[in-house]
Amino acid sequence: MDQLELNPRIIAAVSRAHLKSAREVLCVSGSDLQRVTGLSSSDVQQLLIAAATSCRRHHPIAALVLHRKFDAGLRLSVGCPVLNQLLRGGLLVGGVTELSGESGAGKTQLALQLCLSVQYPTQYGGLHSGAVYICTEDSFPIKRLQQLITDQSLLRSDVPPSLISSLQFSDRIYIEHVADLDSLQVCLSRRVPLLLTRGLVRLLVVDSLAALFRSEFQAADWLERSKQLLTFSSTLHHLSSRFTTPVLCINQVTDFLSSSDDSLGPLSSSVSPALGLLWANQVMVRLMMRRLQVTVAQGDQSSVLRRLEVVFAPHLARSGRDAAVWREGVRGVMREVEMSQWRGSEEGGGGGPHFCLTNKETNGCK
Amino acid sequence: MQRSVSSLSLSPSVKVKLVNAGFQFTADLLHVKPLQLSKETSLSQLEALEVLQAVRGETGGGASSSLTALELLQKEEELRSIVTFSSQLDAALGGGLPVGKTTEICGAPGVGKTQLCLQLAVDVQVPQCFGGVGGQVVYIDTEGSFLLQRVVDIATAAVQHCSLLVEDDEQQVAMATFTVETILSNTFLVRCHDYVELLAELHLLPDFLSNHPKVRLLVIDSVAFPFRQHFDDLSQRTRLLNGLAQQLISMATSHKIAVLMTNQMTTRLRGGQSQQVPALGESWGHAATIRLLLHWAGPQRLANVFKSPNHMGATVRYQITSEGFRDVDQSEQPPSKRARKHTVQMAAAREPSET
Repeated sequence: MDQLELNPRIIAAVSRAHLKSAREVLCVSGSDLQRVTGLSSSDVQQLLIAAATSCRRHHPIAALVLHRKFDAGLRLSVGCPVLNQLLRGGLLVGGVTELSGESGAGKTQLALQLCLSVQYPTQYGGLHSGAVYICTEDSFPIKRLQQLITDQSLLRSDVPPSLISSLQFSDRIYIEHVADLDSLQVCLSRRVPLLLTRGLVRLLVVDSLAALFRSEFQAADWLERSKQLLTFSSTLHHLSSRFTTPVLCINQVTDFLSSSDDSLGPLSSSVSPALGLLWANQVMVRLMMRRLQVTVAQGDQSSVLRRLEVVFAPHLARSGRDAAVWREGVRGVMREVEMSQWRGSEEGGGGGPHFCLTNKETNGCK
Repeated sequence: MQRSVSSLSLSPSVKVKLVNAGFQFTADLLHVKPLQLSKETSLSQLEALEVLQAVRGETGGGASSSLTALELLQKEEELRSIVTFSSQLDAALGGGLPVGKTTEICGAPGVGKTQLCLQLAVDVQVPQCFGGVGGQVVYIDTEGSFLLQRVVDIATAAVQHCSLLVEDDEQQVAMATFTVETILSNTFLVRCHDYVELLAELHLLPDFLSNHPKVRLLVIDSVAFPFRQHFDDLSQRTRLLNGLAQQLISMATSHKIAVLMTNQMTTRLRGGQSQQVPALGESWGHAATIRLLLHWAGPQRLANVFKSPNHMGATVRYQITSEGFRDVDQSEQPPSKRARKHTVQMAAAREPSET
């Protein structure tokens, strides 16, 4: 409070009113402030301007200046060029991305792939850092992670094999098991900020949300649940913006009651993400994954086809891509019509062979 | 604008009594009655009256000079509305987003509120010879949804749209100042991470607006997000929101800008049924002059003007394309005809005031 450039008389009046910081001053409405400090209106104006100046982080900046900064369009690659194209580069590094879907849809597979992809240097779409993976339900799928690590060079043919073998992937993935809300809050307020501050991680995955928020509360406790959900989301947002770190929340789905009027969008499926409107308002990018009725094959492997869809995002069209889950990871599969559109645009990147969805045999379509 | 009392032409003893009672600046004396003043300063009633007359004389009649309704109407007509690229929405709003008033957009996540804000932030910069306002914009982003990738898409489409409409030399010259780069340089971005930062920014904005008189639009995306964090004292939140609404209205009128804010939806239980209503409480409903509700009806997106002093509630369909916020039946009308209607309208409105 003393650091504000104000007449000492004003500062004295403010401390008599038990307001200790500029933030507290701003939290009191104008007329209350006058009443509580006994200052004249022009003094209160000066006080507010001084308090506001100290709380403001920066002046309004022209967007052109931001555009020219080197990390303006920074994204975290998903590890597959088809899926990156859907996301226009990858995950956003600020804000919460939600990935929801039925069990077995492949959400955890994609999350594991991101934990590896973040460790590459920025020229290969990574953030040159590790990941924190918070598990709330099942135990962490460590064997699957090892399998993905072994086959990384098959997935990421855009990265030189020497670089891949030099990275110690499993060393930089920090796994936290959290059984209830209290331990989740402790983890997010102590352990995770420590890892972020030290620069050891630059991706936060929470798998999965609904498990914690659903089981703990009965329907009558929705007020308490809302409060906890808001606190949790506020923590995630602060971490994400303070450390420019992508946050991925995995969510489950509930049945969509078509009779109700409050639709959260023209969902083509019969399920919608859990936790309702309150949570949906906190999410910047909402993705959904679902299983399709088709199987594809690659060499000796076969996989049920999935569809990864963008439900909403400020910079993405509502669109989707098919994807398959192989030993080496999740790979997008282009449909015929998407392939021709993609060839037309200039965004073809490197990456492994692409498979056409025409029949069950492999087609080297590219 | 702080004029101290000691500079007024009054006798020194009177000035001393004023200062001792706490009246430092003429601004403090503007709303005081003579009786109140004489009680607080122990001046005689006559002296108090003289003081107030001196103050009013110096400040040229004080803050309240009265206008006739006709003058007000003429002033309003001089302020052009901000035209969007969706003629149906413009028609529903009575010409476009009104300057000098506050407008609120409510809707569920993903329905297109941020898209409309970004579209208007570009549309406000369309040069006057194309029917636009040619102003700058201050964009307060509280959620982090101002993504340059998307802004560049919308700006590029707008520039392209206007370049197809060029018919004369004046417009050709104007196109040189309407490029993606100039659009980005005329957009002033502020990122607020919580409600205190938002309140701070709004206290400092009048100063910024005085230094940048070309700003014609203020966007706050969104007001709801920072205020829907957990507040222990909801009545404090209501007071803060009321103060914020007052500040926005006064900025809109005194600096002649359009204020656009977005709000979220929340569920209310009414009579056993749950329905979606705009967030931030009942009293916040009075903050904006015009309220727009964006919602889904099956696969369609609809915009409903559900509060407006001038126009009946209208509902229009819209779509979000890679180019931005557009009408659904865009392809039916050739673009040149539509724009000419706008420029002709605007030119006609301009003539009476250009005496």
